[in-house]
Amino acid sequence: MSSRLKALVWLSSLLVIAGTIVLIVVSIVVTDDHPLSTLSPVGRQGRDIARLINPIFIVAGVVFFLVQGAVLALWWRYRVGGSDTGDGEYGYYEDDEFPEQIHGNDRLEIAWTIVPTILLAVISVFTLVGLFALDDVEASGEEMVVTVIGQQWWWEYQYHLDGDTTTPPDFVTANELVIPVGVDIPLEIKSRDVIHSFWVPKLNGKKDAVPGRSHDWVIQADKPGRYRGQCTEFCGLSHGLMKTVAVALTPAEFAQWKDNQMTLAALPAEGTDASEGWEIFNQQCASCHVVNGLTTAATRGGDTDSPPDTWDIYGEFNGDNAGTYTDQLVAGAAPNLTHLMTRGTFAGSWFDLYLDAGDRIPYLDLSTAGTLNRGELEAWVINAPERKPAKADDFRGMIAFTGLSPDDVDDVVAFLRTLD
Amino acid sequence: MTVTDRTITAPEEALALPAGPTIAHRPLGVFTRPQGSEGWASWLFTVDHKRIGIMYGAAAMFFFLVGGAEALFIRLQLATPNGSVIGAGTYNGVFTMHGVTMVFLVIMPMAAAFANYLLPLQVGARDVAFPRLNAFSFWCFLAGGLLLVSSIFIGGWFQNAPDGGWFNYAPNSGLPFSPSKGIDFYAVGLQITGIASLVSSINLIVTVLNMRTKGMSFFRMPVLTWMLLITQFLLLFAIPVITVALFLLMFDRLWDANFFNVAAGADPLLWQHLFWIFGHPEVYILILPAFGIVSEIVPTFSRKPLFGYHFMVASGIAIGFMGWGVWAHHMFTSGIGPLAVAAFSVSTMFIAVPTGVKILNWLATMYRGRLRFTTPMLYAVGVVSMFTIGGLSGVTHAIAPSDTQQTDTYYIVAHFHYVIFGGALLGLFGGFYYWWPKAFGYKLSEAWGKASFWVMLVGFNFTFGPMHILGLQGMSRRISTYRADEGFALWNMVATIGSFVIAIGVAMFLWNVYASTRKWQRAGRPDVGPDPWDARGLEWMTASPVPEHNFDSEIEVERLDEFWHRKYGVDENHRVVRTATAEEVAHDGSNTRVHLPSPSYWPIVLGGGILLVGYGLIYNMWLAAAGLVLLVGAIYGWILEPADDPDDAGHHDDHHDDGDDHGDPAGNGGPGGNGESASAEKPAKTEEAVPVG
Repeated sequence: MSSRLKALVWLSSLLVIAGTIVLIVVSIVVTDDHPLSTLSPVGRQGRDIARLINPIFIVAGVVFFLVQGAVLALWWRYRVGGSDTGDGEYGYYEDDEFPEQIHGNDRLEIAWTIVPTILLAVISVFTLVGLFALDDVEASGEEMVVTVIGQQWWWEYQYHLDGDTTTPPDFVTANELVIPVGVDIPLEIKSRDVIHSFWVPKLNGKKDAVPGRSHDWVIQADKPGRYRGQCTEFCGLSHGLMKTVAVALTPAEFAQWKDNQMTLAALPAEGTDASEGWEIFNQQCASCHVVNGLTTAATRGGDTDSPPDTWDIYGEFNGDNAGTYTDQLVAGAAPNLTHLMTRGTFAGSWFDLYLDAGDRIPYLDLSTAGTLNRGELEAWVINAPERKPAKADDFRGMIAFTGLSPDDVDDVVAFLRTLD
Repeated sequence: MTVTDRTITAPEEALALPAGPTIAHRPLGVFTRPQGSEGWASWLFTVDHKRIGIMYGAAAMFFFLVGGAEALFIRLQLATPNGSVIGAGTYNGVFTMHGVTMVFLVIMPMAAAFANYLLPLQVGARDVAFPRLNAFSFWCFLAGGLLLVSSIFIGGWFQNAPDGGWFNYAPNSGLPFSPSKGIDFYAVGLQITGIASLVSSINLIVTVLNMRTKGMSFFRMPVLTWMLLITQFLLLFAIPVITVALFLLMFDRLWDANFFNVAAGADPLLWQHLFWIFGHPEVYILILPAFGIVSEIVPTFSRKPLFGYHFMVASGIAIGFMGWGVWAHHMFTSGIGPLAVAAFSVSTMFIAVPTGVKILNWLATMYRGRLRFTTPMLYAVGVVSMFTIGGLSGVTHAIAPSDTQQTDTYYIVAHFHYVIFGGALLGLFGGFYYWWPKAFGYKLSEAWGKASFWVMLVGFNFTFGPMHILGLQGMSRRISTYRADEGFALWNMVATIGSFVIAIGVAMFLWNVYASTRKWQRAGRPDVGPDPWDARGLEWMTASPVPEHNFDSEIEVERLDEFWHRKYGVDENHRVVRTATAEEVAHDGSNTRVHLPSPSYWPIVLGGGILLVGYGLIYNMWLAAAGLVLLVGAIYGWILEPADDPDDAGHHDDHHDDGDDHGDPAGNGGPGGNGESASAEKPAKTEEAVPVG
C-alpha cells in the first residue's frame, strides 16, 4: 500500500471515529424533549413493558459486544498481513500456508444450540407472564369507558360515563383524550374507515383500530400531564399528521372538565361578530360539524345523539371504478366542536390551538389564558387541504372554504371562540 | 453428420454458441430457432443459465438504483421537521415503491442472479433443467418490474404509483381509499413477478434434485446450493399465498368482489394473514442466499473448511420450516387474541436459535484460520457483524408486549434494514466481488472494492443505527413529516447524511465495475485462471469466464469440496500439501463437441404478452385481450418450436453426433423431442469419452 493511500485510510478512519464521538456527545448534551418516547413511561402499562424489555436490552447488548468483540479479535489475531490492495493482483496463498483443517465439533454445536434455547425459554416465560397481565384489561375500578374511533386523519373520543357502550355517549370530543390520573381507563378502539393504530407511548403500547372490529385496551397515567400520541398504522395520505394528545387531570379537575363538556353551547348574542359567525357556520360547517345545543337534527342529517361509529358513513360505494359515492358525508363524522376552545390542538392534533399551549398554562385555563393561534386557525378555516393534505373531494378531510371573505373568517373565528 | 460439418467457435470466445447452417425445410408454421451468440439480439433469445444470471444481476442493479434514489428522497423529506421536499402524497408513493422495489425487484432477482449462474455450476450440471423456462422467468420478472416502475411516470410524477405501503393493508388498498391506479399496478405487477419467481423456483428445484453430477449426494452439495434450494422451496410455497391475496385484491378493485370490503362484511385481517404468511418466509427468501454466499466466502479466505457443515445445512432447513410459524408477529397489535400472540411470540423467539448457530459457525470457521481480508471477505464478515445487530433487535420485538411499543416505529425500520441491507445486500455485494472473475474473467479492483465497502458500511451504520434511537423515542414509520417539538430532528439529520454516504459507496462500486472493465478491455483480458481465490466449489473447476457448456466432461464427486481435495492432499505429518494446481485440475473449456439447447424466440415474446395483459388489466381490457392473443400465440410457438438447432434436413435427433454414436439416449426423445429434455438428462452423458483438458 502506498504511503499516501495509507495516510488517507488513517485520516478517514479518524474522521469516522471523531464523528461518532461528536455525535454521542451531542446526543447527550442536547437534551431534546422526547414527548413520544417509549423509554420514559408514565403509565402502569408502559412501565410494565419497559420493565420487561429493559433487562432483555441488556442481554442483547451483552451478546452484541461478545459477537462484535469476537469478530474484531478473530480479525486481529488471525489475519494474514500485507493484503494487497493493488488492482486485482492479489490472489493465492502460499502453498504451505495452511491452518489445521477443523471440520467442526458436534459437542460445541449442540452446546451453542441448547444454551441460547434455554436463554430464550427463560425470556419467553417472562414474556408470557407480562403478555397475559397486560391483556387483562378487565381489571379496572373505573366505570367510565371511552370509545376511541379512528378516522382519516383524526381521533374521536366518545365518553360513556356509565360504562355502557350500547347507549349513546354522554359527550363526544376529538383529538384530545382527557382522563383522570391514576386509574385504568378502559378504551374501546374502533375505526370508521381504514386501519389506524392508537398509541400514546408514555402510557401504553399501541392497539390497532380495525373497521368492523372493536378492540379493548386500557391506559393509565401516573401523574397529571399531556402525553402525545400518534397514529401508527399507515392510514393513507395524512397518516403522519394524525396525532393525538392524552391529557391526565387530577380527579377534581377531571370532574370539572367533564361537567363542562356536558354543557350545551348557547347561541351568541344577536348583533355580535360571533352571531354573524354562527350564521355562516350553520350554513357552511354544520352539515359536518356538530355543536351540541346549536346544530339541529335537520342540519346534522339524522340521529341527534349517536354519531355514526360504523363504516357506512361514506354511504354506499358506487362501484363504478371512479371512487365516487352516492351519499355525502353525514354530520357527526367530523370533529364535534361543542367545546373546541378547551382543547390545546386541532386538525388531528397537528396544529396547536394556542401559541403558548405548552404545559405552562393549566389545561382547564387554556380557553381563558391561552393566546389563540389565530393565523393557523384562520388558514385552516379558509383552506384546510392546503394546511394538511386531504382528499376533501372524497369526503376525507375538510374541504376548502376559499369563498369566505376576511370578514366572514373573522366572524367564524369569533363564533368558534364562544365554544369553550 | 460429422463434427466438421459445423462451424465451431474458437475456445477463447467461450460464450459463443456453435453456429450451424440454417435449415432449408421446415413444416409450415414452425419457426427456425434463432442462432448464434454474438450481438445484443443473442441476449434476447438466450437460454444459457449464465447469461440469464447476468441479466438478472444487471436488471436488479438497475432497479437498485431506482430504489436507492427513492430512498434518498425519503431521507431528504425527513431530514428536517415539517419537511416539504416532496409532499405527503408523493412521499407515500416513494416509500411504497422503495419497499416494493428493494424487496421484489432488487434483493430477490439479485439472489436469482446467483442462483441461475451458480446452481448448475455448483452441482456440476450443464444448465438448468428447463432452459427456455429459465429465460421466460427472467423476461417475466423484467416485465413485472418495468410495469411496476413505469407507474412512477405514467399520468404524472407519482400520480399513479402504489401508495399503500409494500404491505398494502386492506381496506386502505380498496378503491374508495386508493382511487388512483397505483394499487392496480401493485396487484398486477407483483402477480407477474410472482409468476417469474414460481416458475424459476420449480426450475431450480428440479435442477438441484435431478441434475447433480455423479457422486454429488445431498451432503456433498455446497452450502450455497443448499441455501438456494431452501429458498426455492420457500418461494414455491410462499408465492402462491401472496398471489391469492393479490388476485383477491385485483378482483376487489376491478370487479367489486368485496373480499376486503368491510361494509360488505369482510374482515380486513384476512389480507394481513395472507400477506404475512407470504411475507415472513419472504424475509428468509431474502436472507438465505446471502447466508449461502457468506458460507462460501468465509472458508475460502480462512483457508479452512466451513465449520459444522451439517449444522449449517440443518439450521438453514430449520429456518425454512420455522419461518412458516411466525407470520403473526407482524400482527401483535392487530387484535388477534392473546393466545395467538403468545404462540407467535414464542415461536419467533426460537427462530433466533438456528440463526445464531450460523453466526457462531462462521466465527468458528474464522477461528485459527489464515484470514485474508479481500473485498469479498470484508463483505462476508460485514454480514456476520451487521446481521447480528438485526438478529438481536429481532429478538427484542419477539417480546410481544414490548413489540406493542416498537412495531410500526423506526426501531422496526432499523431492524429490517440491518437484516436486509446489513445481511442480504452486503452478502450479495460480497458475492459480486467473489464470483466476478468467474463470470467475466477479470477481477474488480480490490482497492476500489475495499474503499467502497468501508464507505458503504460507515454510511449504513450512520443511516440505520440512529433509527433504533428514533424508534424508541417514538418516531412512527411511514409518516411524511414530524413536528419540530418531537425531538426527532438530530438523528433524522444524521440518518439523511448517512444515506448519502451509502450513495457514494454504491457509486464507487459502479465506478469500480466501469473502471475495471475498461482497464481489461484496453489491456487485454488478464489470465485470472479458473480459480483466482483458491476456492473450494465445482464452479471454480472450469475456465473463467465459464464456457457456454460449463464443464468439458462430467465430474465425478467423491466428497464435499471436491475441487479443493483435487488440489490438496495430506502428507505423513497430516499437513496439507498441494498435489496439483488449479489449472491442472480444472477444465479448460476446450471441448466444443457439447450439445446445448438452442436459443428461443418465445420466452421473451411470452414475457411481452404478459406485460400487455398487465397494462390491459389496469387500463383497457382490449389491450389485455391483445396481450392474451400474443401470450397464447407464444405458448403455441413454444410448443411447436423445433426441438433443436439446425441439423441437416429431416434429422431431428436432439443430439449432435459427436463421434461416439449411441443412438437415442434414454428418454431423450427422438424426432419431436422438445429441446428441453436434452439438459434435463444427466449432464454431459454423451461426452464421457472426452478426456479432461
